[in-house]
Amino acid sequence: MARRLELLTVPLRALRRSGTVWALSMASLIALTVAFWPAFEAEADLAKIIDALPKELIDAFGLADFGSPAGFLRGNLYAVIVPLLVAVAAVMFTNGQTAGEEDAGRMELYLAQPVSRQAVFIGRVSASFLWLVVVAAVMLAAQLASDAIFGLKIGTDRLVETTALCLLLGAWYGGLVALVAGWAARPGLATGIGIGLVVAGYVVMALFPISDVLEPWRHVSPWDWALGGDPLVNGAEPWRYLALAVPAIAMAGAGTILFGRRDVQAA
Amino acid sequence: MSTQAAPPPLRVRGLVKDYGSVHAVRSIDLEIRAGEVFGFVGPNGAGKSTTIRCILDLLHPTAGQIEVFGLDPRRAGAALRQRVAYIPGELRLPERLTARRFLESIGRLRGRHDRNRIRDLADRFQLDLGRSIRQLSSGNRRKVSILSAFLSDADLLILDEPTSGLDPLMQYEFLALVRERRAAGATVFLSSHILSEVQRVADRLAVLRGGVIVAQGTVNEVRGRARQRVEIWFAGDAPAHLATLPGIEGPLLEGGRFVATLSGPVRPLLDALAGQPVMTMLLEDPDLEDAFLDLYAGPR
Repeated sequence: MARRLELLTVPLRALRRSGTVWALSMASLIALTVAFWPAFEAEADLAKIIDALPKELIDAFGLADFGSPAGFLRGNLYAVIVPLLVAVAAVMFTNGQTAGEEDAGRMELYLAQPVSRQAVFIGRVSASFLWLVVVAAVMLAAQLASDAIFGLKIGTDRLVETTALCLLLGAWYGGLVALVAGWAARPGLATGIGIGLVVAGYVVMALFPISDVLEPWRHVSPWDWALGGDPLVNGAEPWRYLALAVPAIAMAGAGTILFGRRDVQAA
Repeated sequence: MSTQAAPPPLRVRGLVKDYGSVHAVRSIDLEIRAGEVFGFVGPNGAGKSTTIRCILDLLHPTAGQIEVFGLDPRRAGAALRQRVAYIPGELRLPERLTARRFLESIGRLRGRHDRNRIRDLADRFQLDLGRSIRQLSSGNRRKVSILSAFLSDADLLILDEPTSGLDPLMQYEFLALVRERRAAGATVFLSSHILSEVQRVADRLAVLRGGVIVAQGTVNEVRGRARQRVEIWFAGDAPAHLATLPGIEGPLLEGGRFVATLSGPVRPLLDALAGQPVMTMLLEDPDLEDAFLDLYAGPR
């Protein structure tokens, strides 16, 4: 047990600096955005201008009902930028602690200790996820505090659900990166696939509905599973959490198995 | 009642490791005896680190068998590594940790978190434990890796170029530590480029070249394969037939002086000298460096 704890503690410490920077940056982004709410609320014409945009554009960028608190937060934060950044953070954390560390040769001394390879890998993926939880918790705290300060009225339950879905969306991409890193110690490849599919997932969810032919395919995107039900307004059905969490765990597990079966990259 | 001998600390049979079309290691056989220091020498790219990484289950052999204390490292895994300590040749340590924090972490993973031992070893190697690893010189980083391997009382120490970057004083201290562990019953598998170091501490050694073991035996046996320099002074002209003796190369006859190199046994030369008016004779004993260079140069 002490060994497993140490295998978790080592990457948790290694991620301390970047995790803190990510958490504070996200909190700042949220606070700054909400700070504009009072001015926006007083300027009703701006919401009317946005409402006059083409429906496809409004749907693509989450601008529906922009004059409401939920619409304001969705359009400015939770339709694109927050889930995108959380997913990117997950990719960076996981890649750095798995493929990145292995490629740099810093994993070898740990793998030569009386611990299983799988335990080393699981410790690093788990630490990446735990830091993502910290980022999400700080985001939520910043959101609730900013709402109270600037008078933005929205249900805490909706914010908790939306933040949890963003976290799990990030976990899905973290699991994907763990799968690639388990297959090969190629941090560039893992980052490329991770970031590429983050962007692709957003494009599929946001732009495919514009085309009648492509519209049904929007449901293949994990972004759609996370945010397709407009959680800031409607909350989220339980299947959405499962649709993100189960593949995330499965991909991380498959990456762990692959990592145990291949050669470890030399420095 | 029959007693079964304990399996050797390390046995390698027909080890092959290919990377695509590149043959890094081509059929290596080794058997390391309990309580000995075994030197593993060879030029860069000879396959030393590849062999070691296969032994540690960091690489999967293409073919062959490896047994550590009679167990397959692939199957025995973590439990077996409890008995093995390792210093990698290419050293990459976590930059942001202090040396103390890193060593404590390794101690916890080995199930032996002994701060006194860390401090004693650090004092011995004059290592400042409070500095972050990124601030340490390559020699001090090497000391950190040495400490990590000697934190626990592993039965088998696998050391890949362990003194690279250390000053002579610290190399001496390292060899003293190796001797202490051997005296305590541990077995040491020492890969090194520093042949004088192997010569001083190893009981037996193997020389690796191009992924193949080209010599194996005690230090004296391997040294005996090297060419010796022969210089003989005669009272009168040196006999010409000495130049045709087996093992004689590059003979030079200058009046009463005969100079050559001799490979193989010295007996034919001594027989040929019987009855000759030999004034003085010099037969230079090769050191391991000469033997190594001869073996490295390939078959003559």
